[in-house]
Amino acid sequence: MAYQFDWSVLWQYRGTLLQGFFYTLGLSLIGLCGAIAVGVIVGAGGTSARRWLRAACGGYVEVCRNIPLLVHMYFWYLGLSALKLPSFWCAILALSIYSGAYVAEVVRAGIQSVPRGQEAAGLASGLTRRQTLLYIVYPQALRMVAPSMAGIFSQLIKDSSLASVISVAELTFQAGAIEGTTFRTFEAYIGISMAYLLIVTTISQTTLFMSHRRAADVGDRF
Amino acid sequence: MNFAVVWRNLPYLLQGLGVTLQTAALVILGGTVFGVALGVVRTSRIPLLRQVAFAYIEAIRGTPLLVVLFVVYFGLPPIIGYKFTAYQASVIGFILFIGAYIAEDYRSGLASVPRGQIEAGLASGLTVGQVLCCITLPQAIRRMIPTLFNQFVRLLKFTSVASVIGVTELTGAALAVNAREFQPLEIILTLAVSYFVVCYALSLVGRWLNTRYAIQT
Repeated sequence: MAYQFDWSVLWQYRGTLLQGFFYTLGLSLIGLCGAIAVGVIVGAGGTSARRWLRAACGGYVEVCRNIPLLVHMYFWYLGLSALKLPSFWCAILALSIYSGAYVAEVVRAGIQSVPRGQEAAGLASGLTRRQTLLYIVYPQALRMVAPSMAGIFSQLIKDSSLASVISVAELTFQAGAIEGTTFRTFEAYIGISMAYLLIVTTISQTTLFMSHRRAADVGDRF
Repeated sequence: MNFAVVWRNLPYLLQGLGVTLQTAALVILGGTVFGVALGVVRTSRIPLLRQVAFAYIEAIRGTPLLVVLFVVYFGLPPIIGYKFTAYQASVIGFILFIGAYIAEDYRSGLASVPRGQIEAGLASGLTVGQVLCCITLPQAIRRMIPTLFNQFVRLLKFTSVASVIGVTELTGAALAVNAREFQPLEIILTLAVSYFVVCYALSLVGRWLNTRYAIQT
């Protein structure tokens, strides 16, 4: 091992890295909101009584899940280059649509895991269908899905690294830039993987913590 | 839209598809072996081994695939003093990456094997190794089929990332064609459809195997 490690490059280029960190954070959070929006709509549609709606939502999930995220990104960035969308928003669209399909599957499974008696009881006690879903079925489903959601969220954060390929200046992109000027490849990439670990752990632990607290709330009420 | 560009470049694109499938096949084999081995270490009774495996799994699972590939392709050569080709680096990177996920799946598969069976095996005079490969492993793997195939489909999609370090697999080939012909919409759509067909077919195989071999509980 003749290689001399020099971790000071990370401190030297802290400005660049910090900027990349905030881009990654922005991509992840906006992508997360997009994925949840898409996932809740498509997932709820997947449990609809209307057959065409169920089929459409199932089709969406299968198509989007079976195409690599990188291809999703290239679709918006290259395929629809005539639209001239900024690369940041191409990445957001790709992340939302791709991860939305995963969220949809989880949401669908969560809704179906709520015992049917709950819905029947809601309807029987005079609530409208909308009220039953909104106040009885969906809140229970939400708690069921929290652990799988935490997994999808951490996946999404890591997936956001692919945005560097379509030149969004996030962490991976900046690490590439640092590598280009200093040739400190190993240090740069190990450094950013620590940053990813930090974001992933924070978000997944927060999701789990919030779901535990919600569950405790319900426990107190009965 | 004019898909003639796809027909014109079909042999080149098919070659790319071949590389994608070959990579996926290699990694499915290597990754499963590595993942199960890692899972065995992760659940071993020697604390040090268990902790090393745990640290490895957590580190990989917290790192994006792209970063793992970059580390293997750009970061390791100066340290170990050997330069991989882009293809070798991508296969090694994928195996290292997917192995960590398969190890975790193995752990949950193993947890589903009742403890009484392990105890019964040991009590009837089998060694720890024999219990592992004749009693727990076959059951754990059969229980792992759905999650395992999820990982395989994920992996098949992930092979597209190899194009970033310069492997001419399907995505790399499509991008090269696009650079020459500049008909991005047609080419990217074809790319998406090809991946969809291959990945969907693989997930159907998984479902079929599951209905056939899974342990009914």
